[in-house]
Amino acid sequence: MTVTVSASGLTLRYGGTVALDDVALRLEEGITGLLGPNGAGKTTLLRVLATAVPADRGAFTVLGHDPGTAAGRLAVRRTLGYLPQNPGFHPDFTAFAFVDYVAILKELTDRAARHREVRRVLAEVDLADVRGRRIKRLSGGMRQRVALAAALVGDPRFLVLDEPTAGLDPEQRMRFRELITRTGEGRTVLLSTHQTEDVAMLCHRVIVMAGGHVRFEGTPAELTARAAGRVWSSAERDPGARAGWRTGAGAFRNVGDPPEGADLLEPTLEDGYLLTLDDTGAQAVTR
Amino acid sequence: MTTTVTAPDAAVTPAAAPGGPRARAVLALALFEARDLLQQIVVLVFFTVYTVAVVRQMISGHLGWHELTGREGMAGYPALQDADRETQTSAVLLGVALFLCANRAALRSRRQDTDRHFGTLAMDPWRRTLGHALSVVPFALFSGLIVAVRFGWAALRPGAVGHGSVFELAVSPLTVLLCGVAGVLLARLVPSAFAAPLLAVTSYVVVLDSLVFADSHWTQWLSPVVAESGGDPLPSDLIGRPAAWHALYLTGLIALLLCAALLRSGGRTARIKAATALALAATAAGIAGQSPGPSAALQAARAQVSEHPESVERCAVRGATTYCALPEWTGRTADWAEAVERVRSLAPGAAAARPLTVRQRVEARYGLEGDPSYDPLTAPGVVTVGTRWGGNRVPEFSTGLASTLVAGDEKAGGEVCDGRVVAVMWLALGAADDPLGQLRAVRLDDSTEGGSYVLTPTSGLLMSAGQTKVVAELLHRPRAEVTARVKARWTELTRPGVSTARAAELLGVAATGLGAEGGNSCSE
Repeated sequence: MTVTVSASGLTLRYGGTVALDDVALRLEEGITGLLGPNGAGKTTLLRVLATAVPADRGAFTVLGHDPGTAAGRLAVRRTLGYLPQNPGFHPDFTAFAFVDYVAILKELTDRAARHREVRRVLAEVDLADVRGRRIKRLSGGMRQRVALAAALVGDPRFLVLDEPTAGLDPEQRMRFRELITRTGEGRTVLLSTHQTEDVAMLCHRVIVMAGGHVRFEGTPAELTARAAGRVWSSAERDPGARAGWRTGAGAFRNVGDPPEGADLLEPTLEDGYLLTLDDTGAQAVTR
Repeated sequence: MTTTVTAPDAAVTPAAAPGGPRARAVLALALFEARDLLQQIVVLVFFTVYTVAVVRQMISGHLGWHELTGREGMAGYPALQDADRETQTSAVLLGVALFLCANRAALRSRRQDTDRHFGTLAMDPWRRTLGHALSVVPFALFSGLIVAVRFGWAALRPGAVGHGSVFELAVSPLTVLLCGVAGVLLARLVPSAFAAPLLAVTSYVVVLDSLVFADSHWTQWLSPVVAESGGDPLPSDLIGRPAAWHALYLTGLIALLLCAALLRSGGRTARIKAATALALAATAAGIAGQSPGPSAALQAARAQVSEHPESVERCAVRGATTYCALPEWTGRTADWAEAVERVRSLAPGAAAARPLTVRQRVEARYGLEGDPSYDPLTAPGVVTVGTRWGGNRVPEFSTGLASTLVAGDEKAGGEVCDGRVVAVMWLALGAADDPLGQLRAVRLDDSTEGGSYVLTPTSGLLMSAGQTKVVAELLHRPRAEVTARVKARWTELTRPGVSTARAAELLGVAATGLGAEGGNSCSE
């Protein structure tokens, strides 16, 4: 696999808060998941990579282009598709007009070719039938797909998706996963999410961030393997567990360092994620 | 951001730049925004009002809305040096709409939180600003087209005289452009949707104040549209408006506002900085050029034509009448001659053949504004004609001419108040296509009953209720019959002191109810 994005030493402070602290990463073709609790620096990292904000220190390249120069930044932006967290819309625009507008801002100047491209991406996100409908009349899931179409227009090689499935119902989330799978083919996709299922289902690599640091970088299987032998079942909550919750069957699922003779369970990606955060001192989610 | 060059692990070919020259992308954005502007209700309404107003003005010759038909009828005889200026005011409507809507469009990304996304796209913010500003250009071009059609319509009229100024014609499109660019700049300076409406109202008050109350010539000309009107059309070379300087000022100002918006949006390129300096220089030059008032030479020339029009006029003889016209109006002598011959045709031989001079006069000393008045001439047989023609000006001229034929000179004609008024009004209106309509038109009260003031190019004359009654009765009767009676009794009808009752009797009109003065208007 070729490396599409290469970053080292990325550091960014907001006032006294360190949002990114010496972040290094390499992204290859395919979908990379970005996990982390709120405030981990995920969105900040995505905004830096999307050239929305410059880092205070460090460097990165996208497809060999250095965004530190005007020409390099332009080249990066021409390879980039960005779906921000809670994207804004122009509600009076139709889906077609909005994506067309974004296509113009991506400097697709040939009108006929641009319109073909807009129709193509709207079809790709299954919005061909409602492309003439105003955005204010679309459902939340449809709007999210419009935003994805806007990110995809111009066929970018590097796609940055910031929590695209947030706020979607299970069916919409499932459909969105299908879309992301399709769009990941032949592209480099960096997918930020709180949903470990998204990562498990979609990503060939995963990065875990906490406190502005990269805590883990590897495959989902490697992250899951971190919890091997550290997940067990018990009738009551184990006080020694780092996290534990009652399952639907009534037993407790515990994550941490199991007592001897514990009834070990098959770990999941979420277990590996929770333990990674806990091992690094970050706050794990305890349910 | 400190950047170090990090070589990728393997050379990856970037996506081909999807656009061509970046300027084309800006034009594509401008077209998109222009289409969006056209869908804004405010623009649509003002656009429609502007177009309808202009079409209506073209047809009627009126600048306002108060007349539904072209009663004044002067549209057929435009002075092109005024027609160019009359295209300007109505464009302000469209300009205000574009100011508001271009401002709103430029704020759209901020209001609807798409800036976070759009900020990562290839088009720089300053190019987006440029796209917004250029989106107004189609509207300016439309305004230019409307101006061209309107002026062309006037210029192609057979009765058109004079010369228009391309700089005056440029004011409408430039004003539209200025308003739109100002809206975009305001969006970049004050990112609030309330700023534009507030500023529009404030500007209106300020501009109105500067136009209505300001005495200063130079502050008056800072306004985009300086609509000087009210006076009679002046010869082109006496207009004295700094139209070219004003067009330069507006062009410079538009460029300056645009550059300010681009700089504010981060477009700090050498070209934009140079353009800013150039725009500033053009604006300053425009202000300097348009600020001085009329020169001494111009004022002298205006005085000369006002006091001694004969010194610049060209005269032509047609029959017993000499027509002296200002150089740009010589083509109108045929229209004057037609009116003269109509009046003469109703008079008996000697009177009909009496030598007359039609002298064109214009009051240029007070410039383009003000309500000019002309003292009646005392030279025998010399009649005043103004620089306007068509509509009411025709019966007014005919009345002045008829009173001169009857009384000997213009001043004496204005003092006629006895029964001779009947002969004057018959000569003036008897041969008209619509005599009663013309009677109504020439009277100040627009009626055919009661006493009223009758307008002429100079002082006018009074017409009593009795005289009105007799004249209206004559105008109802067959023209040949009345003409024969008038010609037969001309001497008595035009004798000073003849009473209206006697005139009525001579012409076979019932003389009842004419009052103690015998129907004369001398005591009114």
